[in-house]
Amino acid sequence: MQEGRVLPAREINRDLLRSILTTPNWYWVTVAIMAIIVLGAMSAAGMMINKGMGLTGLNRPVMWGFFIVNFVFWIGISHAGVMLSAILRLSKAEWRRPATRAAEVLTVFSLMTAVMMPLIHTGRPWRLVYWVYTLPFVPYDFARGIWPNVRSPLVWDPSAIFTYLTSSILFVMVALIPDMAVLRDRTTGIRHQAYALMAMGWQGTPRQWKLQIIAGILLSALILPVFVSVHSIVSWDFGMAVSVKSWHSTIFAPYLVVGAVHSGVSAVVFVMILLRWIYGWENYIRHEHIDALGRLLIVVATGWFYFFVMEVIFGFYGREADEIAVRNFQFTQPPWNLWFIFFTGLTYFLPVSLWLFKWTRRNLWIMSIACISVNIGMWLERFLIIVPGLAQKQMFTFDWYTYAPSAVEITIIGGTFAMVTLLMLLFSKVLPLIPLYDIKEGDILKTEIKIGRATVPATFRED
Amino acid sequence: MVTQRVDHKWGMVVDLDRCTGCQACVVACQSENNLPINTKDLFLQRRAYEWIRIERYWEGEFPDVKARFIPILCQHCENAPCEPVCPVFATYHNDEGLNVQIYNRCVGTRYCANNCPYQVRFFNYWEPVWPERLRNHLNPDVTVRSRGIMEKCSFCVQRIRRAEVTVERRERSNLDYATMKKRNFLPACVSACPTNALNFADQADVSGPVKEYFDDVNEHPHGEAHDRKTRGYRLLEEMGTKPNVIYLKKVDPFPLRKGVSHGS
Amino acid sequence: MAANSHSESHYGPEMWVFPVASQVTREVSERTSAIPMAFGIGLGVSGLLLGLGIIGFVIRAMSDGFGAHGPWGYYAAIFSFIFMVTGAAPLAASIFRVTKSHWRRPLTRVSELFSLIGIFNILLFIPLMFVLPAFRNPNLVPLAENELDLRRTIWFEVPIGATAPQWLDLLGIACLALCALVLLWLSAVPDMAQARLQATGFRRRFYGVLAGHWHGTKSQWINQKAGLALLGAFYFMLLVFMQFTISSDYAQSLIPGWKDSIFPVIYTLTGFQSSLGLMLVILFVLRRWGGYKGYIGISLFWSASKILLGLTLLWVYHMFSFGITYWYGRLEVEQNILKYLLFQSYGWLFLANLIFSFFLPFLTLLWNPVRRSDWGPALAGAFVLIGAFLFSWRIFVGAFNAGDVYNIGLEHVPAFAGPDLWDVLIVLGGLGGAVFIYLLGSRLIPTMCAWEIKEGAMYQHMGTFMRGRYLVLAKPE
Repeated sequence: MQEGRVLPAREINRDLLRSILTTPNWYWVTVAIMAIIVLGAMSAAGMMINKGMGLTGLNRPVMWGFFIVNFVFWIGISHAGVMLSAILRLSKAEWRRPATRAAEVLTVFSLMTAVMMPLIHTGRPWRLVYWVYTLPFVPYDFARGIWPNVRSPLVWDPSAIFTYLTSSILFVMVALIPDMAVLRDRTTGIRHQAYALMAMGWQGTPRQWKLQIIAGILLSALILPVFVSVHSIVSWDFGMAVSVKSWHSTIFAPYLVVGAVHSGVSAVVFVMILLRWIYGWENYIRHEHIDALGRLLIVVATGWFYFFVMEVIFGFYGREADEIAVRNFQFTQPPWNLWFIFFTGLTYFLPVSLWLFKWTRRNLWIMSIACISVNIGMWLERFLIIVPGLAQKQMFTFDWYTYAPSAVEITIIGGTFAMVTLLMLLFSKVLPLIPLYDIKEGDILKTEIKIGRATVPATFRED
Repeated sequence: MVTQRVDHKWGMVVDLDRCTGCQACVVACQSENNLPINTKDLFLQRRAYEWIRIERYWEGEFPDVKARFIPILCQHCENAPCEPVCPVFATYHNDEGLNVQIYNRCVGTRYCANNCPYQVRFFNYWEPVWPERLRNHLNPDVTVRSRGIMEKCSFCVQRIRRAEVTVERRERSNLDYATMKKRNFLPACVSACPTNALNFADQADVSGPVKEYFDDVNEHPHGEAHDRKTRGYRLLEEMGTKPNVIYLKKVDPFPLRKGVSHGS
Repeated sequence: MAANSHSESHYGPEMWVFPVASQVTREVSERTSAIPMAFGIGLGVSGLLLGLGIIGFVIRAMSDGFGAHGPWGYYAAIFSFIFMVTGAAPLAASIFRVTKSHWRRPLTRVSELFSLIGIFNILLFIPLMFVLPAFRNPNLVPLAENELDLRRTIWFEVPIGATAPQWLDLLGIACLALCALVLLWLSAVPDMAQARLQATGFRRRFYGVLAGHWHGTKSQWINQKAGLALLGAFYFMLLVFMQFTISSDYAQSLIPGWKDSIFPVIYTLTGFQSSLGLMLVILFVLRRWGGYKGYIGISLFWSASKILLGLTLLWVYHMFSFGITYWYGRLEVEQNILKYLLFQSYGWLFLANLIFSFFLPFLTLLWNPVRRSDWGPALAGAFVLIGAFLFSWRIFVGAFNAGDVYNIGLEHVPAFAGPDLWDVLIVLGGLGGAVFIYLLGSRLIPTMCAWEIKEGAMYQHMGTFMRGRYLVLAKPE
């Protein structure tokens, strides 16, 4: 039997556009709170730029801290969008439908948040122009013959991230066109004009649908290499650094990519549960979807765990004194060892044991706990990769030190979370977070097959 | 005007047998290169500036204990890990074998400091300040760095340049080893070292104090270190960074008895 | 998609095939017992090669003994190749069964039949147990700077005796073979029970012993499916672990200073890629000449080739992330390893490996019309299979001839080690042996999984949607 009933198109429009056409009281309260947190973080960053990086907890061996951890974390979250939209679209998984839009939008906003982190992290952000000559909108400094250093992973980084940002915005926009047209027809005044502009004359003719579908599939396929390259390159920020023993590991690229998918998909599941709760979308985000995502997450988490184990084993494999020292620091010295236990538990053992059973996967509270736990764990993972490696770099024990974040850093980190929430909330006010046409398409393609006395859910497929 | 000049390739030899850990080099460097005063706070934050620093390691266990000193400064690696990772070319290798830092290019990603195995790169976490009465002591030949940039030992490139300018522009003579030697091109730390533990010269200068060691160490790379005729070695040689600083092993006539482990 | 409908389904009649259940039983058991001419020739040739291989092995053992590991490089390479491919092959059935991919149905038995080669893997592995150098450096110079007292292994300093990893590896390979055989048996029981009714003589007794208990009750089916899923998951984990230990014990730890956390992953990936490639080749042969055209639709090649394309891209991605990390670091030992395995000594082999494992299959599979044929994916499969062989050759012969394993790092770049006549015989014999066993097995156990195909025919049919005919796929929970 099919789970959930097939809804008439009128009802789908009404339900999914509710977030845009009506405004509940809690909305502006939440927006205001988030905005205040973001403003607080912005003032903290301003103060830091004014006074110097001394306001952070960074020091001589530990030159990278919370900002870079947070940067990698948000880049990781941004991998959910393509994972869910592109890969599941290409593999024709029906249960992707309600999750795609939220995932893509989360991708765009977390990427925007992520690119801010290195800028805040640098000592002289106003000198940014030297760094981002690679960007299309910044002119090359031909006159002085000064170029960015293409050998540096930090130049590969902005190139990959901005390509990814551009293409994921394009991805969202292409998927939004039919929904924009629906909105255009249901609004008046300036909003009508804005939606009309963005709908680009969509009338829903067969040719327009065909082009939209082809564009979606092409973008899915083209965005995949970008998707893989972004986090690979972020991982090479670390992997290329020969002097930090625990960073210089060949497995870093796939390890961090899988970790990113792990945390990103978990974040999307949590966002979907939230959406279901606050907008009452029980008919769209159903238990079967969360269930399917949970099963996907078991596979992703186990894949991640495999890479993690390889990384640790080959950390010890070399039996080099300096690397063993870093690993000892990570695994045995308090408080790092406690963080390490939390990290492995929160990232793998707790969530995967919660995902193993059907009833747990279909319990939204348990799923929320599991998905939040993954994200806390993945944040800790990046922290435990980045900081201990630096704190005990090389065998010059005279220069070893440790790291504790300052209040400024914590405020800015908190601000990034508020910012993503804020942007998501604002987006939900103007555009639907569940693709209307995708849900309708899924409903149309649904059918059933009778086998003996049983009725089995089925779908029409084009190939 | 410039008719003929030597292509310098500078090198330093640090004789650990002579180093007493007196820290004169540290002080000399501090005043030559406009480093801010290292206050107690700065030390406790681990953000002190020490372009050259004396690392002190303990050998053995109390009471059978010996202090070992090793001055560590930028090794000016030929194959420097810090150079390729800078996104803005703020650090690069010049043709005299110096690893130089361009202050006004630096954006402060601090990647170079991460990728420096010798940990000799210093970041200006704060705007440097001097007491009012020290302001006139600043060296006019050296840039005063602002907050947010990376800095490190430059082999006192300003002294080398001054000597070169004197030879070429003022005396109008050819730049060669002999003419340079008449001028003081030595880095501040080398000039200040009371025991001559630090030596600085062109690596190819036959009359200089460093050629012998560089030739020996270059001739017998890391794998054949036991064939070397001198006491020379490079720090973290297995990394293949090819530093332009060579250390000479300490000769200890009264070693600690065997079985006493190295402590730090 | 709805608006994109055409009046005709735009896929040829061969895309999806729905065999009639009553025919399947009869045809499959007929084709299992038939021995055509070409099959006999194949069996004879592979048996001959196996014989030659045994001769080569005996001569190698007599002339070089088991004292040093150097001369056994080619033996290790062919073991690795066969283990890599045949170990990963039975997994395909389990994985695609778990993901409920209907197109897998003609592929399952082809993949599970590889379980039989597990026994051959154990036999092949036994000589390798004796050639692995000892953990502890036998001629350690005290206080030497670049010598290790214990060579680097993934077993660290675990006090498990001097030859223990070999025994653990053997145990793992044996468990793997056993697990695969149980998987094959579980999957083949319904077919064998049905085939027993048609078969005569030896086959009847054979099927009776193995599948006599099977009556097709509901609980038997439930148990069988649960068993397949659980064993499949266990097999997956054990396989990945064994590929990690074999690739580390017999390749990575033999090259001093080679510390490469991605290598086991690349090895595993190469295994998955080449086994899928081999299965596509076999399916192509079965479809063209094995009389199974009505069973193996183009949809299988279409879907499997997408996965092959994905694996091919993953392979090159992992190779690249290994290469760039080592190349960028410019550490002396890493440079030497790159020169040894990638650019100098085994440079041409690496180039060929890259071409066969990536460029050729990638360029083949890039085109939709090629992927929608039976020959295209099979061709790509053959390429990746050759690529995997070159990979094993490059890595294992390289590892076995890399010099002193107790050194702290690779100080210079060793030369390429070419094969002699006996090495060639050993390699041919290994390949021949594997083919021989597979061919024999295919006459005992049907190469088409009849029950899965019948099940598949129930779950999929062509339905009318708007004005077009489309496939309807059921996804049972």
